[in-house]
Amino acid sequence: MQRTSAAGRRYLRRFAPAMTGYVVILFATTYAIRVWHPVGAALIALSALPALPLIAVIAAMGLYLMEERDEFIRHRLVAAMLVGLGGLLVVTTMWGFLENGGAAVHFPTFMAFPLWCGLFGLAQCGMNIRDRVQDKAA
Amino acid sequence: MNNRLRVLRAERGWSQSNLAERLEVSRQSVNAIETGRYDPSLPLAFKIAELFDLPIEGIFQSPSKDTPQ
Repeated sequence: MQRTSAAGRRYLRRFAPAMTGYVVILFATTYAIRVWHPVGAALIALSALPALPLIAVIAAMGLYLMEERDEFIRHRLVAAMLVGLGGLLVVTTMWGFLENGGAAVHFPTFMAFPLWCGLFGLAQCGMNIRDRVQDKAA
Repeated sequence: MNNRLRVLRAERGWSQSNLAERLEVSRQSVNAIETGRYDPSLPLAFKIAELFDLPIEGIFQSPSKDTPQ
């Protein structure tokens, strides 16, 4: 089993509270908007609030990339992130044209980050499977 | 990049984890370098060479000298 590096542990310590905060803030702001029907600046503030913990998650990912001392792990992460980014650009570009032609419903842009995370994770799984296959073949 | 890391490690009776600890990298890194899936940076290549007390070219083969498959 792979031991988590010190940078990896720091990342988890930053990630966990940010995601917990995201869930709490998302439910709280959704409830507040439905119950109190705020307008103006209050509505803008409540609507934007759930983005803050996700921005913290993005920052935690960036810090992890900078702090991870293992160059191979860094290389793998960057490669998987680029695969995720490429996939996200392909999906959103295609979706945009489908939406423009009236063939698809509106894509909520706040879904871009979760979609990228999913594709980033899939890319890491794909790389692990490829490496195991290559190792067995060697 | 072809290299003799696996042979040198085996000569010393070290596991991939032992070597990884000495180099302060993950076992995954050692495995990727040994199998030629990843070429180490110059600082890491120097660290490996110093650990085995060999010149870099005593461990890693220049890509220009690789025999075509």
